[in-house]
Amino acid sequence: MIALKDITKTVRSGTEDLTILSDVSLEIPGGQFVALTGASGSGKSTLLGLIAGLDAPSSGTIIVDGDDITSMDEDGLARVRSEKIGFIFQSFHLIPSLTAYENILIPLEIAGAGDAESRAARLLDDVDLTDRGHHYPAELSGGEQQRVAIARAFANHPKILLADEPTGNLDSKNGLHIFKLMTDLHRQNNVTLVLVTHDAALASQAQRQVELRDGRIVDDAPAG
Amino acid sequence: MRFIFNLTRREIRSSWQRLLFFFVCIALGVGAVVALRSLIQNLTGAVGTDARALMTADIDVNSTSDFTPTDLSAIESAVKASGIVDGRNETINTSAMARPTDPANPNVKFVELKGIEPPFPLVGQFDLGDGKPFDFSLLEKHGALVAKILLEDLGVKVGDKIKLGDGEFQIRGSFDQEPGGTSGFRIGARVFIEKKAFDEAGITRNTSRVRRHILYRTTDNPTELVKQLREALKGTTVGIASYREQQENLGEQFARTENYLALTGLLILVLGGVGVWNVARAFVEQKRKTVAVLKCLGAGGNKIITVYLLQILTLGFAGSVVGVVFAQTTLWVVRWQFVNDLPEKMTYGVKPSIALQGIVLGVMISLLFSALPLLQVRNIKPKLLLRDENNANIRRLDPAKWIFGAMSLAGLLGLAVWQAGSVKIGAFFLIGLGVTSAVLYLAAMLLTWLLRKIRTRRIFALSQAINSLYRPGNQTRIILLAVGLGAFVVLAVQSMQTNLVREFDSTRNARLPSLFFIDIQRSQINELEQMIEERVGEKAETTPTVRARIAFVNGEGFDLGQREVRQQQGQIGREFAVTYRPNLDANESVVAGQFWGDAYDDEPQVSVEEDMAKTLNVSAGDSITFDISGRKITARVANIRKIDLRNTRTAFVFVFRPGTLEAAPQSYAATVLTRVSATDRQRLQRDALAKFPNVQIFDVADIVAAVQKLVNNFVLAISFVGGFVILSGILILIGSVALTKSQRVYENAILKTLGARRPTLAAILIVEYGLLGLLAGLIGTVFATALSYVVSRFLLEISWTFDPILTVEGVVITTILVMLVGAAASFDVLFRKPLGTLRSQ
Repeated sequence: MIALKDITKTVRSGTEDLTILSDVSLEIPGGQFVALTGASGSGKSTLLGLIAGLDAPSSGTIIVDGDDITSMDEDGLARVRSEKIGFIFQSFHLIPSLTAYENILIPLEIAGAGDAESRAARLLDDVDLTDRGHHYPAELSGGEQQRVAIARAFANHPKILLADEPTGNLDSKNGLHIFKLMTDLHRQNNVTLVLVTHDAALASQAQRQVELRDGRIVDDAPAG
Repeated sequence: MRFIFNLTRREIRSSWQRLLFFFVCIALGVGAVVALRSLIQNLTGAVGTDARALMTADIDVNSTSDFTPTDLSAIESAVKASGIVDGRNETINTSAMARPTDPANPNVKFVELKGIEPPFPLVGQFDLGDGKPFDFSLLEKHGALVAKILLEDLGVKVGDKIKLGDGEFQIRGSFDQEPGGTSGFRIGARVFIEKKAFDEAGITRNTSRVRRHILYRTTDNPTELVKQLREALKGTTVGIASYREQQENLGEQFARTENYLALTGLLILVLGGVGVWNVARAFVEQKRKTVAVLKCLGAGGNKIITVYLLQILTLGFAGSVVGVVFAQTTLWVVRWQFVNDLPEKMTYGVKPSIALQGIVLGVMISLLFSALPLLQVRNIKPKLLLRDENNANIRRLDPAKWIFGAMSLAGLLGLAVWQAGSVKIGAFFLIGLGVTSAVLYLAAMLLTWLLRKIRTRRIFALSQAINSLYRPGNQTRIILLAVGLGAFVVLAVQSMQTNLVREFDSTRNARLPSLFFIDIQRSQINELEQMIEERVGEKAETTPTVRARIAFVNGEGFDLGQREVRQQQGQIGREFAVTYRPNLDANESVVAGQFWGDAYDDEPQVSVEEDMAKTLNVSAGDSITFDISGRKITARVANIRKIDLRNTRTAFVFVFRPGTLEAAPQSYAATVLTRVSATDRQRLQRDALAKFPNVQIFDVADIVAAVQKLVNNFVLAISFVGGFVILSGILILIGSVALTKSQRVYENAILKTLGARRPTLAAILIVEYGLLGLLAGLIGTVFATALSYVVSRFLLEISWTFDPILTVEGVVITTILVMLVGAAASFDVLFRKPLGTLRSQ
């Protein structure tokens, strides 16, 4: 489902080149739940961003569901994200000018889904926010915002769900609720789930743990 | 498409408040364009292009001397042959002195007298004070109809008698509107009497100011008849005009004025466009994360640009509609304030065609000025959701931005050309705007550079305020450019007004006469001189004047068939008052050729005023043939003369060398320099008229007042436009404050965390905008002073004096204005809690 080969990512920092990822190769089969772990600055989020096509690697290839996304332009990448990938961020990244319901509606409208409105309403119900649909993100709690983000990520039935520390900004109770919601949806829909987390307890519930240090994979083993 | 429309609708719903300044910028610009164009078009409709009513006929045959029998028979046979004339009358116009017959009433007034005969008017109508229709019998047996204002000026009422020349006339009625009346520049009020009473009253027919008209009404297009009349009267001094030609000329003049005003409106709209550009940049800045999220969710860059473009166009359209409403309100304010100064028939509505034009302009300006900032959306990468790098690269110039920049410029040129009605003027407008902006921008760069050099670390608020002016993404130079431009326009106009008004201040020109006496007969001159000397204590300066027309220049006549020549006919075809003298006047200098000496020379020689020499295209050595009382005199142009009008007593376009004109029929003009009180002046006028009723006396104070009124109206109009420009500058300022507000909020939070107290932060804010205002004020005043100097000295050719008070006022007011607006727009920043701000970053 996801194949990364010899991925290197270098960015310019002031006058120097900074290598964030170095020769990373990784294969994730369809339906697997993988936890990416590692210290701050180890390159986890960058790797997740590269898989989502949010950024391009400096070298190497990335194949997502059979498509080589490293050779695609911006619009091609956007299409792949729209059709195949759902993304959940630590700081939610909802569109502040849209209501909770409309935030879920947006990816459906981008994809041109015929039943967009009814699906958005259903998704809102799936995350128990039917009553809060007309509220703007600023009027929702952190946990509620992240539930909207999850519903948005699942809107187009993605084959891959990428989550970048989705519980990092939440208290433990809300964090657990979100984690459960995510893993339930992963199981029900047989979605490939890649979770970036610092939380060893959450990581231990994944099928596989990949640990990064200084931009390299230092450990790749089944969890638990 | 559904995504695009739905998102556009939702974005407008939530972002309209943030784009309010965008909206106001467009509304103000469109309001200015629509208001200015409507004002001039409505004014045109009221006074103007109805040349037929102005002429009171379809064809006007006129002359300053009596028509000769040959002329008359040529005219009548052409008219008869045409078969299209269904009405004819004759009128005679001149200026005269009017005074009440009541000896207890000392008033005297200069009037414009019109002698008429039935059927009058052929076209148009009287609007009499008592509401009754005009009946010619009102004028029979020495009756007069007078403009309402004259009743007040002379202190008389309907039924009273006034003296015109030697004749006494009873005022039988007054009018608000007369046939052929305009609201143009006029020194005397109009008085109508019977044409045959002219001679009976002894009103002189023998002056250059008497014009005789034969007017015709036609049943068909008069163009062919006019052509026949011109052919029949070739070589004579008779003038022929048709309402169609007049209409064409008037229409062209109004169209030109309208296009110039429209360009002024466009200037304001372009400044509004700069505001739009700022707001659009701020908007994209604020929407970075939203754009990144949308891209992350699979929306392509073009789709997102389309959403924001639609949003901008919708707001541009709504702003333009509000602009039209604003223009209509402005027109109502104009009616409320100036209804008495404007023509009675003036309407105050915005025409649908102008409103539509304004809306198209508003939408186009919104599009042109927001296209480039919106293109930055393409450079926003979704990766910023993972790692927020500085966004310097979204402003990077790439080929697409160059192409869009060039297209925006071409679009702007298109709008300028459209509004100016000419490619040349439109291009000049854009180049002029570009050059002015570049110069002001360079000045802004220089001043901010200097400020940085002299900054001190000793005063915390001052050094922080100066630092703030260099904040990344700050609009210091753009604000300086915009506000400086506004201050520049207003101050330049004010400075020119001061100099113009000073120019007309008769007390400053020692050689400007206080009274002019003209049409004095040779037999009257000594006695009048004596009377003036007794009353005023000054020997009047007398000048012989002879009436002459130009017949040929270098042996060639004027071809009145040519339109350009016909348009200049007023200048070159008129009758001139010429004089002769052996010397140059004190305010004259020779610019080409030589002034005559004392040696005898029997060749007639003439000295020509510089501008007339240019109009006639003559230089020293050429010849001009004058028609003087039917006799042709050819004179060699001996020299070209410059007259310093600032220091003038009399200004003759043609001065002959003594020896040619002494025997020609002539009258005298006399001037008095001594300023006498209004009562003494009135008494002298009255007594001089009692003894010499043919003499006309101009009171310079009256003329100066009339000119000053004209200048004041002009200044008011320009200040109105300047006010719009300043307002645009302020909007740009507010837009710029909004653009850097998030950064200011963050800086303030950090300073508060580090222990800065609110008064310190307030001081930084006030000093920052105070400095900005000071720099803008300096730029505005320096360039306004320079422009006022150049325009006064080289265009208006008037003296120029530096006005220190105006300069200081300009700088102080601009400083305070910018300080208040800038500080007010940012003041809420001081009251934000630092923790919330720092957390959200």
